[in-house]
Amino acid sequence: MKGAQVEKIVLFLFLSIFSIATIYPVLNIISVSMRTDNAFHTRSLSIIQYEEPFTDTNNNNLFDDGESFIDKNKNGKWDSGSSLKSYFELFLETDFLLWVKNSIIVSFIVTITGVVFASTAGYALSRYKFKGREFGMTALLTTQMFPATMLLLPFFILLSYFGLINSYIGLVVIYSSTALPFCIWQMKGYYDTIPPSIEESARLDGCTRFQAFYKIILPLSSPALVITSLFSFMASWSEYVVAAIILQDPKMYTLPLGLKSFQASLSTQWGMYAAAAVVVSIPVAILFVSLSRFLVSGLTMGSVKQ
Amino acid sequence: MYTYLKKIVLLFIVSPFLLADSITTINIWHQMLYENRKVLRDVCDKYEKNNPEININLTYRETEELRSSYQAAAMGGSGPELIYGPSDQVGPFSVMGIIQPLDKLFSKKYFNQFVENAVVRSMGKVWMVGDVVGNHLMLIYNKDLVRYPPKNTNELIRIGKELTLDINGNGKIDQYGLVWNFTEPFFYVPWLGGFGEWLLTENETPNLNTKGNKKGFRFIKSLRDEHKIIPKECDYEIANAMFKTGRAAMIINGDWSWGDYQGVVDFGIARIPKVSETGLWPSPLVSTKGYSINANIKGSQLDQTIKLMKHLTSEEIQLYFTTKLNSQPSSKDALNSSIVKNNKLLKESSHIIEVGRPMPIIPEMRAIWDALRDQYQAVLGGTVSAQDAAKKAQENALKQIKVMNEKIEPGIQGNIIKIIIFALIFGLIFIIGKQVPDFISDYKKNKIAYIFFAPALLAIAAVIIFPFVYNIVISLSNYSLRTFNDWDIIGLYHYIKVFGDSNFYLVLIKTFIWTALNIIFHVSIGIFLAVLINQTLPAKPIIRTLLIIPWAIPQYIAALSWRGMFNQEYGAINIALVKYFNLPAVEWLSQPFEAFTACILTNIWLGFPFMMVIALGGLQSIPQDLYEAARVDGANRWQQFKSITLPLLKPVMLPAIVLGTVWTFNNINVMWLVSNGGEPSNQTHILVSFVYKAAFNLYRYGYAAALSMIIFLILFGLVSYFIKRTRATEGVY
Repeated sequence: MKGAQVEKIVLFLFLSIFSIATIYPVLNIISVSMRTDNAFHTRSLSIIQYEEPFTDTNNNNLFDDGESFIDKNKNGKWDSGSSLKSYFELFLETDFLLWVKNSIIVSFIVTITGVVFASTAGYALSRYKFKGREFGMTALLTTQMFPATMLLLPFFILLSYFGLINSYIGLVVIYSSTALPFCIWQMKGYYDTIPPSIEESARLDGCTRFQAFYKIILPLSSPALVITSLFSFMASWSEYVVAAIILQDPKMYTLPLGLKSFQASLSTQWGMYAAAAVVVSIPVAILFVSLSRFLVSGLTMGSVKQ
Repeated sequence: MYTYLKKIVLLFIVSPFLLADSITTINIWHQMLYENRKVLRDVCDKYEKNNPEININLTYRETEELRSSYQAAAMGGSGPELIYGPSDQVGPFSVMGIIQPLDKLFSKKYFNQFVENAVVRSMGKVWMVGDVVGNHLMLIYNKDLVRYPPKNTNELIRIGKELTLDINGNGKIDQYGLVWNFTEPFFYVPWLGGFGEWLLTENETPNLNTKGNKKGFRFIKSLRDEHKIIPKECDYEIANAMFKTGRAAMIINGDWSWGDYQGVVDFGIARIPKVSETGLWPSPLVSTKGYSINANIKGSQLDQTIKLMKHLTSEEIQLYFTTKLNSQPSSKDALNSSIVKNNKLLKESSHIIEVGRPMPIIPEMRAIWDALRDQYQAVLGGTVSAQDAAKKAQENALKQIKVMNEKIEPGIQGNIIKIIIFALIFGLIFIIGKQVPDFISDYKKNKIAYIFFAPALLAIAAVIIFPFVYNIVISLSNYSLRTFNDWDIIGLYHYIKVFGDSNFYLVLIKTFIWTALNIIFHVSIGIFLAVLINQTLPAKPIIRTLLIIPWAIPQYIAALSWRGMFNQEYGAINIALVKYFNLPAVEWLSQPFEAFTACILTNIWLGFPFMMVIALGGLQSIPQDLYEAARVDGANRWQQFKSITLPLLKPVMLPAIVLGTVWTFNNINVMWLVSNGGEPSNQTHILVSFVYKAAFNLYRYGYAAALSMIIFLILFGLVSYFIKRTRATEGVY
């Protein structure tokens, strides 16, 4: 058992180091969000910059150890310290909370539609050999193959024909249909790993086909449902390009649109842009954490006689 | 629940119509900087108060996006009443006919209020009235470090050398004399004037193969390599950050940056130093920004729009902007007011504008910028001599302009294609019609399957079929800048063109490499990590959450953050390489191979969490007793992984791999943002970014559509083959 202990420690260390390396670029963004000078780049590896007091006995505008400094407000502290100024500005002076609300509504509807349609359609593809099945599966995949930039203009023409510009319906329809192919394929793949004998025994116990799906298979597929919902959520949560052509009224903006409004060519509000990006990723992390306990399936092979 | 959802849905349909009716809404799309937007909103609020029947909506878009989304909207017959932007957008908009001429809408007296520059003319008509003049480059210096700005380039080099310092003596430069976004042609062209030449001839044709241009190329290169007063790699953001933190004594930047520096750096402004060799001042481009009216606006809506536009360009409002933001007004009366006369910055700024040149507004400028950018960056990268680059830039610019203005007349081929299309449509309907009875009989057998699958398929089809057909039609047409309003089917012209372009094959190969490497790393890292964190470990939830963060952060900002990390001198990656691994610093962003690698690294980072989550889900479907049985049989870990984990992960991973391939193949974001649109010299491209750059930049919609169809067909072939080989659509049972 000693070997297993050592192995676990090595594993843990490896994963910790890997995680830190993974989140370093994100820390970088956090660092930018806390800077006071609205600049995007730092020149050291450190994330938090202290407002360090300095000594400059000979008044040559250089720290006595040689580094130069800026102290505009003459408070004896180096100016490029860290602060939460951008966050305050973000919440108090912009429509950030409104964008969050809009985004939550849109993503929520897309997630629900994604999960409902994908869990049923995936089941049909996994369990039935119906006519047009192969064609349907390829068609789903095919829809993902267009370069997105080419779809924008036709999308716009289509939606303005139906009067759906500046409405969430247009957005939800497009998001759902772009997220669905993956969700359906994913659900189908997962159903494929569940032995059909499970339903067969359920049907012997008197379930209808629909009941067998609803009561037996669906609960067994919770890991796939988690992934599907997470994916649908993400597809709408951070999508920008389609939203930009559909939503024109700032009051209806979703988060990515709001976020991008801090960006301008050659003059970006880096502090707020980064702060908003950080805040945007928090709900995703929360969602993942709260969903991850369903990432464990109830599937046990032993319960079914092969 | 259902009724509740219905209510929400209804609310969304109705809400846009709740406003309106007796109130006239005027939409303005603009690209104003963050601080300016607040002032504009302020001005519009006051206007609404005085005119209760008017409601003004302001929509911000970044300059390039403003252009493309306005084009899309105006083509679709809608769009905002007013569009505010830089004067060079007048070129394409007026040619396309999506803004209206202003001559008849306003009086002569109105136009006479403004300085000549601010009334933007093209093809003999007025299309835009500007409210600010400027947008010009200048030398901005940190007063703490530079007492008097250099007057000429010799002084610039001398002062620059004095201020380029390795303060702590570690062999690395800590402070540069001069920084600026020197690799971008807009930031280079003032020097053309300094060397006695200009971008365009008097007939507005490109004029790049000149002595002055060659000297200019060499001059910038010498600042970097010989005098070493500017950093090796320096884009706009790096330059800006360095200047703001006192790491650079001088910067060449535009008037828009003043607001950003105020309160951060004690700065002064001056003309870009005179070129000592010629005795001429470099000439920055001066442009105006202003309002144009959408061509689709008529009647009383138009009257209200004109009234608002008059107000927004009035002396009073211009002066309000000046007091708030130091903007240089375009109204003659405003220029004579004490507010402007007593403004020190504006006084110096108009002194700088005197040596400037107006920004050309012809649509062909795009082609000229592109050609210049390519060759200029190649000179800086050391792959071409200044002599050849100038010649090549001129040739390419002429070639591009020819392509851009190409107008192919529909001929006999177009008619044949039209007939074939109709025949195909009828054939398709016929085939589908024949299948209907089969479907009906099959439906009776597999009712649930149809009920389950049909809604999803229909929803997707509704969204995708129209764009698909639209694309095919456009790809066969001569749709471009010059045929914006009267395009027609011409046949397979664009397809032939694509296949005849050697660049296409090169980019295709790069796309394959890009896709393959990304998928291989995404999947292997994903599965590897999933297997590791699937075991019982301390702090497992935390590690698991940290590892999905790259997926959670919006791609566009993550990509920009990575771009910063790849900087040659200040990026985290090189700092780590040099400090901890004792390796030489890599020029990630200015060499083609390294830039491509940088993009791949970024995308690997962005993509593995997704695969990890899928694999984590998939691992749950593998019964533990299989492993136990294998252990009893004496299988080691690797054997267990190979013969249990991998085969059972297959049905879950394959869909993700297939779709991942498709998405990676078409992922424009990372490529575009990390390489800043294909830099260096347009060599960092995959097919989608190539479409975007090569075609949209030059308004070649037909060509772009054809290329997109080809991308689609390549992907389709690739994926079909893959599915056939792996039998991805079939389950394990």
